[in-house]
Amino acid sequence: MGSRAALPLLVRATPPLFSFRKRPYPKAHVPNKRFYAQKSSLEPPNVPRLAETARISLTPQEVDEFAPKIRQVVDWFAQLQAVDLHSVEPAIRADTDGEDNLRGDVPEIFDNRDAIVAAVPTFEDPYIKVPKVLNKE
Amino acid sequence: MRSTEGQTATQEKQQTQLKASPKKESAKFEEVLKNYEAVIGIETHVQLSTHTKAFCSCPYNYGAQPNTSICPICMGLPGALPVLNSKVIEYGVKVGLALNCKLSLSSKFDRKQYFYPDLPKGYQISQFDIPIASGGYLDVDLPLEFGGGHRKFGITRVHMEEDAGKLLHTGNGSFSQVDLNRAGVPLLEIVSEPDMRTGIEAAEYAAELQRLVRYLGVSNGNMQEGSLRCDVNISIRPIGQLEFGTKVEIKNLNSFSSVSRAIDFEISRQVLLHSQGQANQIVQETRLWEEGAQKTVTMRKKEGLSDYRYFPEPDLPGVTLSEEYINGIRDSLPELPEMKRRRYEKLGLSMQDVLFLANDINVAAFFDATIGTGADVKLAANWIMGDIAAYMKNEKLSINDIKLTPKELGELIASIKGGTISGKIGKEILFELLAKGGTVEGLIKEKDLVQIVDPAEIEKIVDKVLAANPKQLEQYRGGKTKLQGFFAGQIMKETKGKANPGLLNKILVEKLNAKS
Repeated sequence: MGSRAALPLLVRATPPLFSFRKRPYPKAHVPNKRFYAQKSSLEPPNVPRLAETARISLTPQEVDEFAPKIRQVVDWFAQLQAVDLHSVEPAIRADTDGEDNLRGDVPEIFDNRDAIVAAVPTFEDPYIKVPKVLNKE
Repeated sequence: MRSTEGQTATQEKQQTQLKASPKKESAKFEEVLKNYEAVIGIETHVQLSTHTKAFCSCPYNYGAQPNTSICPICMGLPGALPVLNSKVIEYGVKVGLALNCKLSLSSKFDRKQYFYPDLPKGYQISQFDIPIASGGYLDVDLPLEFGGGHRKFGITRVHMEEDAGKLLHTGNGSFSQVDLNRAGVPLLEIVSEPDMRTGIEAAEYAAELQRLVRYLGVSNGNMQEGSLRCDVNISIRPIGQLEFGTKVEIKNLNSFSSVSRAIDFEISRQVLLHSQGQANQIVQETRLWEEGAQKTVTMRKKEGLSDYRYFPEPDLPGVTLSEEYINGIRDSLPELPEMKRRRYEKLGLSMQDVLFLANDINVAAFFDATIGTGADVKLAANWIMGDIAAYMKNEKLSINDIKLTPKELGELIASIKGGTISGKIGKEILFELLAKGGTVEGLIKEKDLVQIVDPAEIEKIVDKVLAANPKQLEQYRGGKTKLQGFFAGQIMKETKGKANPGLLNKILVEKLNAKS
C-alpha cells in the first residue's frame, strides 16, 4: 500500500453511532445528506439493560446507585457537543496521521505461548475447558 | 458434482417426513407448492488464505495442534494492539472488484460486542456501516441437469472481519472445548441480495462464489474445513404478494447439496404451514440443517435484533484505498469464471463442456495450455472430459498430479489427426502418459506404434487374414456381410492396432467383394 490518497471521504446516509455534534455543518462542507444524533437522542442510561449486555449482575440498590454516576459520565462527554466544528471536514472516524499502519503477511510465532496457556483458568490439554454452551446469546 | 438421483431421493424422503401420506396427497401438495415463491438470500463467510491472522502475526494452519497459534493480540490480553495484515485489504479489494462492487475508498473497522467462549476479546473486529465493497452482482450459469440458464444475483456488501475460535461439544456432558487457533483469522463476509428463488439457484450461487475465490487465489473455498460457510435466509410468500414472509435463517450447511436440500425442505415446511392456515407458526429464528435426518430444526428463536453495540474500533486506523492501488489490483485480476465460460462458449464448445472445463481453475488452465499448443478445441475438451477425467477419478488424483502435460496432450491430438497413430493407439499412449509421463514421440518410437498407412502393406495383411479364414469368407460372400467387422478385428489384431482404419476398411471391402 503506497501512498494514502487525499480523496474526499465517503459520506453515508447512516446515522453515526455516537455523535455529540450540536450543529450540522454549513452546506458548503456537506456534499450529501448527513444525519446527526440530536441531543434528545441521548437517552438516560438504562442501567439494568447495560448490566445485562455486559453480563454483570447488579442488585436493585446498585442500579439506583450507578444510574446517576453513569448519567454524569455521559453528560461529561456531552460537553463535546459545544465544540465548534464549522471548519472541520466530516470524517468517518478519528484518524491517525501519516503512514498506513499495515504489516506484511509474514508469520511469527509468539514465543511465550506457555504463559498464555498457563493463565487459562481451566485448561485440559490441548483444549480450553468452558461450561457447556450450545446456542449463542 | 451433485447427482440428480440424490436430489430426487431427498425430495421423496422429505415428503414422507412431512406427511407420511399416500401419493395422491403428495401430488396435491406439489400443486400447493406451485402457488408459493421462496425468497432466498445468502450470507457467506470466506476464510482468507493468508499466512497470518488478520491483526497479529500468528500463522494459521488448518488442523494444527489446538491452542498453539495464539499470542496476546488474538487472545485479547490487556495492552495488546492489533495491526492489520495488508493482504486482507488486497484480498478484500480483489473480491470486491470480481463481484462488480463499488469500493469504499475510505472505510473503517468496528467492534461488534458479544460474549461467547470462542471470542477471547469479548468483541469481534468487523466492518459495520461502511463495508469495503458494496452494490455488486455475480453471474451464474445453472447446471444443465437442473434446466440450465443464466442468472445474475445481486451482492449487497462485502466486508472484512476476523473469525472466532472453534468450539467442540463433546459427549461428556457439562463441558465444551475451545481451540483458539482460528480466533483472529481473516474472513470476508459476502452478503447477497434476496435474489434467489430455489435451492438449486442458491447452491449454484455458492458454487460460483467458491469458484471465484479459488480463481482469485484468496481462499481454498473448502466447505468441509469451514473455509467457505454459507448461512441461508429464506422466506416464502404466495405468488403475487409483494411483502416478504417471515424470514428464517438456516445454518450448518456443509456442502452445496445440503444448501439446496435444506432450502427445499424449508420451502416445503413453510408452505405446508401456510396452506394449513398456520402461517403464524413460521417465526423468525435460526434453524440448523441436520444432515442425518435431512431436515431443519430450531436452534434459537430471535428476540428482536441482537444488540451488538457496534462502535468504531479505536485501536485501528481507517482503511484508505487510492485509485492507483485499486487500478493496480484490477489490472492484475485473472480471467474470472464467468469470463472464461463466455470465452469457451465462443470457441464453439457446448454448454456442458464449458461448465465442466471452467469449473476447476486447474482443469481450465490445463485445457487452455493444451489448446495453446494449437490442438483442436473440441478434441482437447473430449480427451480432458473423457479419459483424463475418468483416470483422475479412478486414481483419486487432481489434474496437477497427473504426469501428462498439456504439451503432450496437444502432441497426441496432433499425431492422431495427422494419421501418425490411430485413435485406439492414441488411447493406449494416453494411459501410459497419464501414469508414467514421457513424450508421445518417444512412446511411438519405443513401442513401434506408427500407424500403417502404406496400402500395399495393408493389402498384404488383408490377403493373409482372408486366406486364414476361408469359412467366414464364404459366409460373407453368401450374404452374411456383418462379418466385415470380424475381418477388420482380425486385421487389427494382426497389426497390433496399427493399421489405418480408413484404409483398412476400404481395402477390406474391395477384397471381400472382389470375386462376388
